Amino acid sequence: METNPDFNKYMDRYFNFAGQWESPSKCGLKVIHRKDGKTLAIATEIYRQNPGTPVTEWCAPLATLIMKELDCLPDQFIFIEHTPDLRSKLAFYDETFDLVTFDVDGHNLVNPKWSRLSPDLVDGMMEA
Amino acid sequence: MKFKLIYPRWEKLDGQTIFNLPPHGPVVMAAAIPHNIEIDFTDENVEDLIIDESPDFVGISMMLTTQVKRGWEIADQYRKLGKKVIFGGISTMLHAEETMLHADSVFLGEVEGRLDQVFQDFHKNDLKKIYNFISTPPDMSLIGPAKRDILKKDLYYHKGFRMVDLFHASRGCIYDCYPCAVRYLGGRGFRPRPIDKVVEELSQMDNNRLFIVDNSLALDTQWEKDLFKAMIPLKKKWVSHTIEDKDEVLDLAAQAGAWYVYQAVFDTSDYIKNRIKQYHEYGIAVEGTILLGLDNQTEDDIKRLVDFLLEIELDLAEFTVLAPFPHTKAYSDLLKQGRIFDTDWNHYNAGKVVYHPKHMSAERLGELYQYAWDTFYQDEPQTMKMFNLINKVVSREIADGTYTPRRRDIADLSFGKKVPKLV
Repeated sequence: METNPDFNKYMDRYFNFAGQWESPSKCGLKVIHRKDGKTLAIATEIYRQNPGTPVTEWCAPLATLIMKELDCLPDQFIFIEHTPDLRSKLAFYDETFDLVTFDVDGHNLVNPKWSRLSPDLVDGMMEA
Repeated sequence: MKFKLIYPRWEKLDGQTIFNLPPHGPVVMAAAIPHNIEIDFTDENVEDLIIDESPDFVGISMMLTTQVKRGWEIADQYRKLGKKVIFGGISTMLHAEETMLHADSVFLGEVEGRLDQVFQDFHKNDLKKIYNFISTPPDMSLIGPAKRDILKKDLYYHKGFRMVDLFHASRGCIYDCYPCAVRYLGGRGFRPRPIDKVVEELSQMDNNRLFIVDNSLALDTQWEKDLFKAMIPLKKKWVSHTIEDKDEVLDLAAQAGAWYVYQAVFDTSDYIKNRIKQYHEYGIAVEGTILLGLDNQTEDDIKRLVDFLLEIELDLAEFTVLAPFPHTKAYSDLLKQGRIFDTDWNHYNAGKVVYHPKHMSAERLGELYQYAWDTFYQDEPQTMKMFNLINKVVSREIADGTYTPRRRDIADLSFGKKVPKLV
């Protein structure tokens, strides 16, 4: 497993995936197997360290891939997108969390819908 | 074999001065086409396109999102005639899935060293639906001089004044700017061309005035310095995006012919004020590029920004409203928040508002966009400010013996079309 000083409570490993047009791509990942039996995955956009497709642009295929690798069923799987604070002069790179919900098409997650979460809410979901 | 290469037209913004520059993508692509292929190029922005059965194979090169719908329309017509059509270029990459519905083939990525295969496949009637080189950029030393002889040069004059030619010295960008898709298009790394290749191409160009279209000239100090040193003897005069703010770099840039730069002005800070001042100290003029409608801008912020631009004595200003192009963080953020209400790509011209701004209505942002143009150019119109910039470059060209007078034989034409003579 790769290590990185930037790993934090929302990201403890990198996840490599084939993004759009098979582009080699990479995001941060944290997986929590919750007490209620559900699996929570937090995918972090790592910007310059990601050579390929951003998490948001590949959200449904990426969530499907992670869900299958974790051997989860859609109704037991919770997916959160995380963008870290880049400490930019511009406000567009502040930390954000979005809960992503999907329709299910066969074995795949499709049609992502995002809803913003506060960090406190995310922390609560991680401890559930 | 005749290859018809087309650069589709797009609707220009209301009320702005129209300058049709010779396109860059098609001439870069043409340089990578096998030499035995006859290329017949049409830039629909300056000439009419006649769609007939004469080409063997058709290529459509698209740079802007506002070109894609017209590009698809052209392709549909050629395909009805039984012609194979391939798409390439920046906006083909941005809109690849949709473009595939109108294409026999789409080319994703950079062309150098890759088009021999495409034309061989065409000859074998085995054209692939996708040529995907998006993650495998070519060796930068393969990029030779662009093939500018496909252009009908007389069409890129306005009343006898020649437009700048476009040129590039590097690809890719290390930054991930909010409204920009270069990360997707050119990769996250900075890939400079070898300096000797750059000089070779510049030496062959008969136009003394250039627009260096690289995303930024502020990504590698040593390369920048080497580039500018190598350019000094060529005596070109050029426009570019940002140049690094180190004095030694700016000094060399000025000696190398820096005429004016496009500098993003995103706030009213001393940093921006000093940046503009520093360019001016080296005799480099500044065209501010001002993006309106970002989430951190209220109505008052926009008005204050316009006042600031007048105070810092920008030479020119270009206002745009945020257009959330696919494959940008702006697009991702607005998509996530459900704020994009218009997906007609013809409206993604950076003059129309296609999303719900955070602090005002879309209509109000449209009004403020107009206010910004009107206010900045209230005392001195854009054409006059541009004229002042041209005067500056003419003086420098006269001083170093590179001045080419205006062409009197086409002084009554603007981009190939007759203009009324002013008495």
